[in-house]
Formats: sequence, C-alpha cells, structure tokens
Amino acid sequence: MDKTPLLEIEDLCAQVDNKEIIKNFNLTINKGEIHAIMGPNGAGKSTLSYVLCGKDGYEVTSGNIRFKGQNLLDMNVEQRARAGLFLIMQHPVEIPGVSATTFLKHAVNDIRKANNLPEIETMDFIKDIKNISRNLNLDNDMLKRSLNVSFSGGEKKRMEALQMSVLKPCLSILDEADSGLDIDALKTVAKQINSLKDEHKSMLVITHFQRLLNYIEPDFVHIFANGRIVKSGDKNLAIELEQNGYSQYIKENA
Amino acid sequence: MSISEQHTVLNPILETLRQKGNSSFAKQGLPTSKNESFKYTKFRELNLDNFVFAKQEHKCCCNEHKLGFDAYEIVFCNGKLCHNHCSGLDKIEVLPLIDAIKDKTSQKYLNKSFDMDNFPFAALNNAYLEQGLFIRVAKDYVSDKPLALVYHLVANEKYFCNIHNVVVLENNAQLDLVEYYYHAGDIKAEYFNNVVNEFFISKNATLNHYKVQNDAFKAFHIALNVANVKQNGRYDSFCLQKGALLARNETVVKLLEEKAQTEVNGAYVINGWATADTSTYIEHLHSETYSNQLVKGVVGDYAKGVFQGKIYIAPDTAKINGYQLHKALLLSDDAVVNVKPELEIFADDVKCSHGSTCGEIDKEQMFYLRSRGISEQNAKQILITAFINELFNKISNPNIISWLKSF
Ligand SMILES: Nc1ncnc2c1ncn2[C@@H]1O[C@H](COP(=O)(O)OP(=O)(O)OP(=O)(O)O)[C@@H](O)[C@H]1O
Ligand SMILES: [Mg+2]
Repeated sequence: MDKTPLLEIEDLCAQVDNKEIIKNFNLTINKGEIHAIMGPNGAGKSTLSYVLCGKDGYEVTSGNIRFKGQNLLDMNVEQRARAGLFLIMQHPVEIPGVSATTFLKHAVNDIRKANNLPEIETMDFIKDIKNISRNLNLDNDMLKRSLNVSFSGGEKKRMEALQMSVLKPCLSILDEADSGLDIDALKTVAKQINSLKDEHKSMLVITHFQRLLNYIEPDFVHIFANGRIVKSGDKNLAIELEQNGYSQYIKENA
Repeated sequence: MSISEQHTVLNPILETLRQKGNSSFAKQGLPTSKNESFKYTKFRELNLDNFVFAKQEHKCCCNEHKLGFDAYEIVFCNGKLCHNHCSGLDKIEVLPLIDAIKDKTSQKYLNKSFDMDNFPFAALNNAYLEQGLFIRVAKDYVSDKPLALVYHLVANEKYFCNIHNVVVLENNAQLDLVEYYYHAGDIKAEYFNNVVNEFFISKNATLNHYKVQNDAFKAFHIALNVANVKQNGRYDSFCLQKGALLARNETVVKLLEEKAQTEVNGAYVINGWATADTSTYIEHLHSETYSNQLVKGVVGDYAKGVFQGKIYIAPDTAKINGYQLHKALLLSDDAVVNVKPELEIFADDVKCSHGSTCGEIDKEQMFYLRSRGISEQNAKQILITAFINELFNKISNPNIISWLKSF
C-alpha cells in the first residue's frame, strides 16, 4: 500500500473553555487507511473531531496538524472542508427552513468554485443525490424537508452519510455514525460508506461498538482515554475491548 | 411648512380637506420621542422645507413591467399618477382620488377610518391631498389577478410623494393588492413618500395586501394603513421593508364585527444607517374576532429596527384570539432593535399572547454549513433567507411568493 501520509497529528494539545481536553495526541493516517478510535464517554473524541474541523472555541494550544502536507491550522472551517475533510457529526444540527437539496447544492458549488470549476449541472446533481438517497433508503421527501428538523436519530445519520457520499471527501471522520441506527440501517449505511472507499480515501471512525467495525473494517484500532491514544492495535483490539471494557486502560493512565 | 405649492384645479371640497389637514399638522408638528407612538423613531433628519413636488408634465419612462407576474398595473412616477391600465375594468372601479372626491360615495370613506389629530403624517398627507386612487371592488367579485400599485421614482430631486388611497371591497369581494415602492434613478435620491391607505372591507370580503418598500437608501418613507373589517371579513397583509433611511409602516386594523380577522405580517431587512419601524395597532372591537402577527427583522451595520405592536380588546367582548410574535436577527454589534409590545385587555374570555426574540445567527448552524465547504458569507445568507422564508408559508399566491423572494 502507498504510504503517503494524509493526516499527521503531532503532540496536539487543545482546550475548550480553558479546559484542556486533548493532551499530547499523536496520530498519522496514510492514504487509503481506515483508523478506528474507541474510548470512554467524555474522553475527548468529539472534541478531537471539532479541533480537526476548525470549530470556533476549540483552541489548539500546542502541536501541529498537517493535512496533505499543508498546515491544517492555517485554514478556516470551509477551507478544510474544501481540501477534503468531512465530519459526520455525533449530533447533527437542525436547520429550519433549509432543505438538504438546497444546502448541498451550495456546498458542492462553493467547493467547485474554490477549485476553479464551473457550477454543477442541476440535473446531474439531482440525479446524484436521488441515487444516493435510494441506496440509503432515504425518502425523497427527506431531501425537501428542513434539514434534520424532527428527523429521527437514524434519519439524521443517514442524512450525514448522504452528504459524505455527495461531497466525496478524502478524509472522513465518522463520529458515532452508527448511533441511532437500527440493525438493518447500520448495514445500509455501512454498505454506502464502504462503496466510497478507495486507495486515496481515508477514514477515522469513532465508535463505541465493535459491530460497525464488522462492516467497515479498520486497519488500525486506537484506544483513546484522557485526551490521548493509550493503546493501538489491529481490529482484534476492538473485539478484546468489547469483552473487557476500558477499565484497565483508564487505570493505567490515571 | 413650505413644500413648494403644487398645481391643482380649484375644488372647494379639496380646499376644505387641505385646510383641515394643514391646521391639524400645524398643531402637531413632526413627532418627537415624547410622542409614545414614535418613541424610538427619530425625525431629526427629515426637513420638510427641502422637498418639492414633481411637475405634472414629467417625461415618464416607466412603461416596462417591473413585477414579473401578471397583474392589473397602475404606475405612479415621482409621486404622480402616470399609467392607469385599469380605467376600463368592469368590476373594479379605479379613479384618481381627486376625481372621486367630487362624488358623495367617496366622501363616505375618505378620512373616516382615523382621527388625523392623532396621526401627524396623515394630517400632513391631507394638507397636500391630491394624488392617490379611489378603488372599489364590486359585490361578489373575486379578482382574477392582483391589482398592483407601482410607485416608481426616477429623478434625483427631493420629491415629496404624497399619496392617499381609499380601497373599498363590497360584500364577498376578494382582491390581492400589491404595492411596490422602488427607485430607478440616482441611488442617493432623497425623496419622501408619505402614504395613507384606507381599506374598507365589507361582509365576507377578503383583502390581501402585499407591500414591498425598496426605496433609495437616503429616502424617507412613512405609511399609514388603516383597515376596517366587517363581519366575516378579512384583511391580511405582508410588508417587506428593505430600503429608505427612515421608514415606518404603521398598520391599524379595526375588527368591527363578528368573525372579522386579520393577519398582519412583515419583515424588515436593513443595514447601513437605516431605521425601519413596524408599528401595529389591532383593535378587537367585537366578540369572536381574530388577529395574528408575525414580524421578523434582520438588522446589520448601524441600522435600527423598531417594532411596536399593540393589541386592544374592547370591554364586553368575548371569544377573542390575538397573537403577536416578533423575531429579530442582529448581524453586527452596532445593530439595534427596539421592541414595545402592548396588550390592552378589557375583557375576560380572551386568548392573547405576545413574544419577542432577538439574537445573532446561530453559531452551531454556521459551523455545520461551513464544515460542508460553504463560505461564511453564503452560510450567513442561507440562514437569513431561511429565517425570512418562514413568513411566506402563509401566502397562497405562488407568483407573489417568488416576487417577494426576489428581494
Ligand atoms: N464547550 C465545552 N465546555 C466545557 N467542556 C466541554 C465543552 N465541550 C466538551 N467539553 C468537555 O470535554 C470532555 C470531552 O467531551 P467530548 O464530547 O469530546 O467526549 P467524547 O469522547 O466525544 O464522549 P462521548 O463518547 O460521550 O461522545 C467532556 O468532559 C465534556 O464535558
Ligand atoms: Mg462524542
């Protein structure tokens, strides 16, 4: 496999509200790799994903992040997205009065504009999202409704997967993409996400359950506790965790 | 007061009306902040001596349609009636007010819906009474298309555009009335639109009133709309205020008889140094009357939004619903919104509420949109549009919705 690094995180420390959450975090993700992060509630997994996306209020106090060889910290939120970073959010935000279709078309065109490409043909765009929503078992009606407003937990996650499929990012962070999905929906969503995989695209999969990793098979599994990775292994580490829990890793670190 | 004299044919009825307006305005003068109903809106920059009337024989160039939808159109240019495409209509009578005044019927309505001693700008309007229309929709007639009054300003003169319309809907009649104020000349034109609209809505009649005020950014725009609603009648209005340095859209609705209803909705989207004032006064004068108001504002730069909403419920009435909601988005640290809701309730069996919210654009929503690659500017615009678009859910005519969305 091509070992070109896509994301390099070095000694990252980050805080929210003057509270240090990420503490000397290190991780390198190469092109085409799938990394899973598992860890107890409140460990800082979502915080890490927001730091990577450049959300206001998530302050990097030291360390470096390079994305495609460039300094990620020099880019604002939309520049990171346009460079190919995407986050499936643990709690997608409700946006009354804005439909998925409208908003995704803006997203596609703003990204194309940044890459000096002409606007997308409306027909092509509509065809694309209709195909994807069929794969995800999402009603066409969902594309017209106010984004995420009164969506069920599972519908929200499928809507996130739809966006990921339309934008085709080179690095996707999945923050509990499986939460709220029923057994069948989990298979559907995982299948759709797998279909996006290729040798240039990487994923960082945050999850509490090994089940998702049966479908989206990770090359590496990391245990995240107290703001850093405390152990790394292959997919068997997830199976072991399922049986023994986090207690030994939290203790080791306390 | 010395707005240079306008030219009109001498008419004793008109003379009397003007004199009355003149003395009423002389008594009141321009409102100051001591006047409760103008508490937040300042008229320091309005100097009446600056204004002149447009000459009648101006060259008008406003034949092209500006609305983008099919309507019966009447065009005013620089405050003077210039194209009346509706003079030959069968069921809708449209007369210049000055001609209608000679007739007894119009005298039954003109100035009958308010006391000008309480409305300084309406008094001023009467002091210079000339321009405007008398419109009457015949009994049982449901208009097939909207009637549009297009107020067009082309020159860079300090024109005083003084308009007074009287609109009468006879029993069971229905009309969509559109008012569109815009400028096509120098964007710095400092004109003054002073408008009075009186609506008389008879039994079972419905008037939908849509207004867009997109005046030049140094212009003044003062409008008083008074609607008198009879049994089972309905006055629904939507006003978008976008332009002018100082704009006030005041709406008074008198629900006179059983099952009279009104929706008074609006939006103001302003920036620069503009002030936009939306004032409403809903009078529930009879049992079983219903009113609902939703007004939204988007205020940027140093601009100021004003919302004053009063609901009055008369003694010895029952089964009344009166709701009012105002929501504003502030786009900058220097933007201001002043809100004064008032409920005057003199009855028991009443469901009444008012509310007002004022905030910034939601940061979580901004982050979500930007994290998908949308620029900050576009993300803001998407959220503002969504905020305003909620108001259009209640409008049934799709042509009018797309017209309103085009601003
Ligand atoms: N804005 C904030 N202000 C203060 N503390 C915060 C803020 N955001 C997050 N935290 C705290 O940071 C810690 C890490 O939160 P985070 O959401 O990253 O955890 P997580 O690992 O994603 O947990 P979970 O598995 O429950 O999703 C928590 O203790 C949380 O309360
Ligand atoms: Mg989390």
